[in-house]
Amino acid sequence: MRHQWADILITSFRDVVDRLVAFAPRLLAVLTLVLAGWVVAAVARRLALRILRVADIDGRCARWGITAALGHTGTRRQPSALVGQLVFWLIFLVGLLMAIEALGVPAAGDLVPVVMRLLPNVLVAVFVMVVGWLLANFLAQALLIFIVNARLSGGPILAAVVRWMILLFAASVALTQLGIAREMILLAFGIAFGGTVLALALAFGLGGRHLARSALESWLGKRAGRGPADISHL
Amino acid sequence: MNGAAAATDLLSEASLTALATAGPVDVVAGVHVANQAGRVVEWLDALARSLAEGAPSRRAAVLVADAGSRDATPDLARGWCDSAAAPAERAWLDVIAPRHRARAILGLLAAAQHMGARAMVLLDADLAGVDDGRLSALLEPVLQGEADYVSPAYSRTIAEGTLTTNLLAPLTGALYGGRLQQVMGGCAGLAGAAIGSWLKDGTGAGEWQPHGAELWLTTTALATGARIAEVALGRKLVAPAEPPPDLASILVRTVGPLFALMEQYGAVWPERAPGATVARRGDPPEIQVDARAPAVEQMVHAFDLGLKDLLPVWEQIMPEETLVRLYPLGLLATDEFGLPARLWARIVSDFAVAYHERLLPRDHLLRALTPLYLGRVAAFILETRATPLGRIPQALEAIDRAFETEKHHLVARWR
Repeated sequence: MRHQWADILITSFRDVVDRLVAFAPRLLAVLTLVLAGWVVAAVARRLALRILRVADIDGRCARWGITAALGHTGTRRQPSALVGQLVFWLIFLVGLLMAIEALGVPAAGDLVPVVMRLLPNVLVAVFVMVVGWLLANFLAQALLIFIVNARLSGGPILAAVVRWMILLFAASVALTQLGIAREMILLAFGIAFGGTVLALALAFGLGGRHLARSALESWLGKRAGRGPADISHL
Repeated sequence: MNGAAAATDLLSEASLTALATAGPVDVVAGVHVANQAGRVVEWLDALARSLAEGAPSRRAAVLVADAGSRDATPDLARGWCDSAAAPAERAWLDVIAPRHRARAILGLLAAAQHMGARAMVLLDADLAGVDDGRLSALLEPVLQGEADYVSPAYSRTIAEGTLTTNLLAPLTGALYGGRLQQVMGGCAGLAGAAIGSWLKDGTGAGEWQPHGAELWLTTTALATGARIAEVALGRKLVAPAEPPPDLASILVRTVGPLFALMEQYGAVWPERAPGATVARRGDPPEIQVDARAPAVEQMVHAFDLGLKDLLPVWEQIMPEETLVRLYPLGLLATDEFGLPARLWARIVSDFAVAYHERLLPRDHLLRALTPLYLGRVAAFILETRATPLGRIPQALEAIDRAFETEKHHLVARWR
């Protein structure tokens, strides 16, 4: 009885130690991969920052209004720093995936190929959304200023419509890129876009007759040299 | 870059050969032409005659450069230059692309320096009534060694040139310390000796190009401490080749270069004492009553619409401190509307700082100034309606002083 008890204890302990000894190289490999991923990501971030600063990306983004647009979202970092962070996390994510693969956990076995397959599409989708968002803000603002300077009412509504249509279009492209319900997205976008255009046409034609008239009068007035711009400014 | 380098940078080999053939001259009339095919030949003939009469004892040349014509103007002007040379030498300047007003003016300056001219008169072919009297008035202060830059001053009506009287001239005077009536007068007299140093600052790809060349010239003369004189030339007569662009585009083409030059001369203007008067020749320019009352109601409506719809954009440009002073103006009826000069100067300095800090795409920022400018013009016209004609100069001087007072705030915010 006492022998059996001792044997069981020793066997259990030995099994645990054996498993730990067998697992130790994997654990070491995981830690090494995480650490290496971190180091490579940090070096790549620094390298990317240097290249971006040599190329004066911050200055260019400021000139193109991208820095200001980012600032309106509460982002206080320079675009080069943001790209540097993106580079860091992408490389570190790859290191983490390799570490998970090295763990040899059966449940995580399928994760790596899935993530690696999706990652490029996710990046493209994020890029499309960022560009769409910048374009939407830029064009909506330009339209608003144009309408106000043409002395027409309804500028904020039209600018908001343009902003949301561009964002809707960008979201559709991004979702299509991700392969999420492609047919449904295309159909929904077609209906939404066509519907909006039709609604605008009807609204402008029926409800906005006075707006259309004042727009034409303003335009024709300018052509004829009347209106506030008629005085000599210089 | 010295003058010779500027000439080779701006002008074709053929033009440099033409300049060498024309030889050294005392006086140059540099003309930039654009889309004036209907009258350019007669205009140049009249100029050559006036130049011969205005500077009879001096060897003179007429230089012509194209500022981006889309019609037959360059061919006609080139033909005129290739025809008989009397009464003055003639040369067509083939400015290396891109062809626009700034490159044409820079090319003319470089050519005048290349020819060793003592004095130059720079002319926009849109100007009408360029006679020997006006040419002499612009050239004499230079030829007598009294000035390096001669700026025109015109007789005008109260509501004429409101962008100049309410923004361009007072801001330039406050920044660089010289109260000039015109900063884009369409003509100027220049000393040959000064052109070389000015070209050093002008041949780069400054953001004041392509529309702000005249403003650049005036600003550079002020910023470099050139001796400046102002001459009264009577009424400014223009025969524009094309209809003017819309008001927002006018602001982009004038206020934009002014703000861009503030960046270029960012080390100069914060140190410069504002508001020095310049030497003036002739009687003070006459101010007349407008023949037709400007449409103040439409301007106030434009301002109100801007205050209602453009506020989200203005909030990105102006601090709350300025905006709270604007809100009550939206409640005023047209007859009692007012946008005081001090508030206007503050608005302009907020826009200048926002331009510098790139808080918005620059084109959007400058266009967003339009309703505010119209509000200021309406206020100015309403103010001056109740002012006797003899006191209008004081009203204009009050605008100058408002910008000069505002300069401390502008310097403090400019980084």
